[in-house]
Amino acid sequence: MKAVKRLCDDLDTMLHERGRLAIVSMLAAVESLTFTELRDGVEMTDGNLSVHLQKLEDRGYVATDKQFVGRRPQTTCRLTKPGHKAFVRYLDQLEAIVRQGRGRTGA
Amino acid sequence: MDSRQAARNLEVIRTLMERTVQYQFLTARAGLAAGTLAGAGSLAFLVLDAANPWQFGIIWAFVFGGSLFATVLGTAVRSQESGERLWSRPARTVVTALAPSLFAALALSVLFFSWGQHLWLPGVWMLCYGQGALATAAYAPTPIRWLGLATLFLGAVALALGPAWAALMMGLGFGLGHFVLGTLLLVSERRASALRLHRSVA
Repeated sequence: MKAVKRLCDDLDTMLHERGRLAIVSMLAAVESLTFTELRDGVEMTDGNLSVHLQKLEDRGYVATDKQFVGRRPQTTCRLTKPGHKAFVRYLDQLEAIVRQGRGRTGA
Repeated sequence: MDSRQAARNLEVIRTLMERTVQYQFLTARAGLAAGTLAGAGSLAFLVLDAANPWQFGIIWAFVFGGSLFATVLGTAVRSQESGERLWSRPARTVVTALAPSLFAALALSVLFFSWGQHLWLPGVWMLCYGQGALATAAYAPTPIRWLGLATLFLGAVALALGPAWAALMMGLGFGLGHFVLGTLLLVSERRASALRLHRSVA
């Protein structure tokens, strides 16, 4: 029980938030995504997504690149190396929690 | 957080990652249209002579062209509805994965027609198509993988049965195969729209 609690306490709070975890999960699957692709994938409003992206950018987990495609501005988002590392670590921690739980129930 | 919540989170992460790389724009209507065209093409040889290379070539070129048109049109409509680009990253990935099989099918078609052995082509086309479908399976909805496996199997059967079964095997492989694919995609589209409705009401 203590081990699970320790693992839970150690979870990255930046990634543990549902919306940010969804963003990082999608970005981890591909090289990059446009703001629109990401918004549609995680089903957030523009404002909500912007706020979460800003937080992830501040932490250095996500990098955004703004450019013009024709006359329209396009924002591309990608996971940085530290972001990828943090995501893998988060997954490892979740798996460890699941394993601990299974160990307790004997499953 | 307990282990059940952690397992649920992992499941959500996996679903999101899979959804990101999957090409979602294949439409049920395009599958059903391709199935109808291939079935009609197959039935046309009840009247036409499959041994005639011109009749054989024109009918199947019409079926292929019509199916391609239905797919492009369905995809364009779907991308417009969702406000996403038609030539998106997943679309490019799928086309790149399909390209080698399409090229092989084209080169072999030219070769078999020039040899006067075009009645062997249904088996060859099905093998190429099955290989192409499996190459896109990682980025496409699950029924595409089943279609790929079934078409590979039917292609081998078509080659084993020989030219006498050419038109029938095309009807079975491409006609019935696409009909089943279209139906499965229709079911998953209905489920997805029901889920969207549920979410919008909740």
